[in-house]
This record gives sequence, C-alpha cells and structure tokens, in this order.
Amino acid sequence: MAKRLTKTEQVYQRKLKDAVHLLFFTHHRLPGVRGWELRKELGADWQNIIEVLDKQLQPLDLKVTRVLEEPDIVEPTNAQLQEARYYIIMRGTVDQKTAKTIGWRIDDIAGLAVSVAYIISKQGKVPRQDVERILEEKLPGWRVKLNIDRYVRQGYLGEDDSGILYLDWRARAEIDTKKLVDLVVSFGKKAA
Amino acid sequence: MSELESVINLCLMVQSGKIEPFDIDFDYVMSVIKKNYPNLKNVQEFCLDAQALKELSNVLERQNQWIEHQSTTLYKDPFMLSQSLMGMDIGAIANAFLRSWHPLMEMEQISTKTLAGSLSYWGGLIPFDERWQDCLVEERETEYASMDEAIELGFIPGEGFTEVVENFWKELGERVGPGGIIEYWEWIGEETYEATVYRAYLTVFMVGYGYANAHWDRLMEENKIIHNVEPRPDPGQQKVSIPTMVDYEEWKQWQND
Repeated sequence: MAKRLTKTEQVYQRKLKDAVHLLFFTHHRLPGVRGWELRKELGADWQNIIEVLDKQLQPLDLKVTRVLEEPDIVEPTNAQLQEARYYIIMRGTVDQKTAKTIGWRIDDIAGLAVSVAYIISKQGKVPRQDVERILEEKLPGWRVKLNIDRYVRQGYLGEDDSGILYLDWRARAEIDTKKLVDLVVSFGKKAA
Repeated sequence: MSELESVINLCLMVQSGKIEPFDIDFDYVMSVIKKNYPNLKNVQEFCLDAQALKELSNVLERQNQWIEHQSTTLYKDPFMLSQSLMGMDIGAIANAFLRSWHPLMEMEQISTKTLAGSLSYWGGLIPFDERWQDCLVEERETEYASMDEAIELGFIPGEGFTEVVENFWKELGERVGPGGIIEYWEWIGEETYEATVYRAYLTVFMVGYGYANAHWDRLMEENKIIHNVEPRPDPGQQKVSIPTMVDYEEWKQWQND
C-alpha cells in the first residue's frame, strides 16, 4: 500500500515542483532565475528547498548553481544571495561527440577556451584586439571576429563600449575556470 | 597635452587593462604631480590635479587586486598560461575546455492554455486584405466645388476673419461694458484647452487690429484686456499681431482656481 504523505510533506513536494518549473524553464530573456524570485514563489525556506532539489538532481547528473552579481564575493550576504541568479547545469561534462551534436564545432570550442583562459590570465579584462590577435595565430581572421561576436551574443563574453572583453554571466555559470586553467597549465608541463 | 593629462591617460590605460598595474612607476608619477602642484593657477588645473590623484589611487587599488588574485588558487603565471595555450593544438584546447564545461539547462515550452489563447487571438485577427483596405488610394476624377460646399467642408470659414474678430470685440463689450477691463485668463479661459487657445488666438488679433488693448504687468503678474470703445480706431494703420503663450499647465491651474 502506498504511503500517505503528511500535509507538510505535500507542501514541500509542491514547492519542489515549483522550484523545478522556475529553474528548468526560461521565463525571461535570459535563463535562470533570481534569488528573490525563488523566495517569492517558494517562501522563506527557499534556500533549503534549493538544496534538497540539488540532491535530488544528483543521480540525473544535474545540479543547481549560483552566480553572484560580483564574482569576487567569498561569503555572500542574504541580500547578495537574493540578487544572485540560479541555474540548472550539467554536473558532469560533455564529450566531443555530444558537443558536436549540440552545435559546437571544435574550432569554436577551442576559440572560446583560449578567450576565457586569456581573459583569466589578464585578471578578467582584455582589449578585444588582443584576444583577436591570439586567436588569429591558429584560426582564420574572418572566423575569429564571427566567433567572438557569437561568444558575446551567447553571454560567454561581455564587451563594453571601449572594446574591453570580460567574462559574462554564461561563462561564470557554465565554466569551471579553475579546472580549465589547471588543465591548460598542466598540459604545458607534460609537454615540457 | 600637459603632464597631468598624460598621467591621467596612463592611469586610465591600467583601468582598461591595456597595461599592467605594476608597469606604472608610482614614485615617478607622484613626483610629476608634486612638481606641477605649485604651478596650478586656475580651477581647471586644480581639477586636473585632483583627477590625477584619483586615477593614481585607482591604480594602487588595481595593484592590490593583482596581489590578492596572485594569492588565490586561481592564479597562474600569465606568461606560462599563454605559452601553454600556444603550445597546445586545437584538439587539446577543446578537450581541456570540454572537461571543465557544464552546459546550462534552458527549456522552453508552450502550454495548452497559451496555445488556446493564441488560437483565440488568431480568430479575432482581421485578414491583411481587410486591414489594408482603408489605406488603399483610389483614383478619383477632379471636380469643381461650390462656395457652399467649400464652407460645408470647412476649407473656407462661413464668415470673414475680420467679422470673426469684430464679433469677438462685441462680446468683450457686452461682458465688461464700453472701455471696461477684464483679467486676461478670465477672458480667454474655457472648459477645454483647445477652446482656450482659440480665444487667445482671436484676442491676439483683436488687440493687434486695435479693437482692444492689452496691459502686461510682469512684476505684479497681472495681465488685462481693455475694451476699446471705438472699433478699428486707425483704419489706415498697419495691423500687427502680438505673440502670446497659452501654457497647458497654466490653463490647468486656472481651471483649479
């Protein structure tokens, strides 16, 4: 016989479903949802509900991630958590075959990786022409400009009025920058 | 360009990432600012001095951030990182990226309710053929119009403009008496703004043509219209028009008063 849920458990289950609807489906121009929106829909206990959801997504190789407005914050306050954006990302990684089916050519992936790594090495801000120069060493010039525009459009890179590139919201949500930098540097050591 | 302006530009290049923060010799830049300080004469030069100090303090902040960044686990020697990137083939770079990439979930779904709503909208939407029908230009044959038809269509006023102004003058005379005075807004004010503007327009010509006089006391903020007993006292004199403003806000205020 199926176990009957208590009223509290029913309420919690419903809130978990609400959290899934908010996080999985795009509601605005950009994916993800702000902390205050989660608080509004899920109540004061929203952070616990997100943690429970994260645990439930683990067997599906998914996780809930958070991107703060300011990337340098170590211990965010409640207000900063409410302004942060929450996304569902893949817990694991993809292989090259899957990346191709998603629509990424190997040149495009490599270009993005070099752009991100170079921006990190320059403490987060680099003039666009410097990135173009680096990419043009291995990729055709016309493709470099197209790719950088694509990375900016998709939200991986941001570009300000004076032509300075920086890491934008999607790079901060999707890319484990520490791991990327470690892999690049360790490749250099192995080659040596 | 002055030395202070050069200092400011140099510091701005650090902010934009074009040069490294530690490439600036802080002591030398401070000596330039100190050297220029006794020669400052006017406000602009003092402002330049203040801006140079402000930008230099921003450079110090960037230097501090650079040191903090170095002490974190994310820091790797930029030269080593660049060299590693150059030494890797495209496949190896892509592989490194894919091992650190966790793509985002973004799903979009149309619900039954949204579909039903859009079908209802579609049903109510007028076809293009019908929508554009009113805008189609039809060729018509030209014809002559009589005076009555032109008056009926509103192209020509029923009475001459002079008659309109004279009737307006008569109305003023009936309201304030011969030679009487009335406050400007009391005279032109109407229920609607459009009617008020029309009365102000006629008043301008009534005064310009000599049927009435206007008295503007800017100090006391009193504007008055004075009825002239003699209509058109100087028929030979050239008519003038006096520009006057009828502000919407002022009309609203008059209505509330």
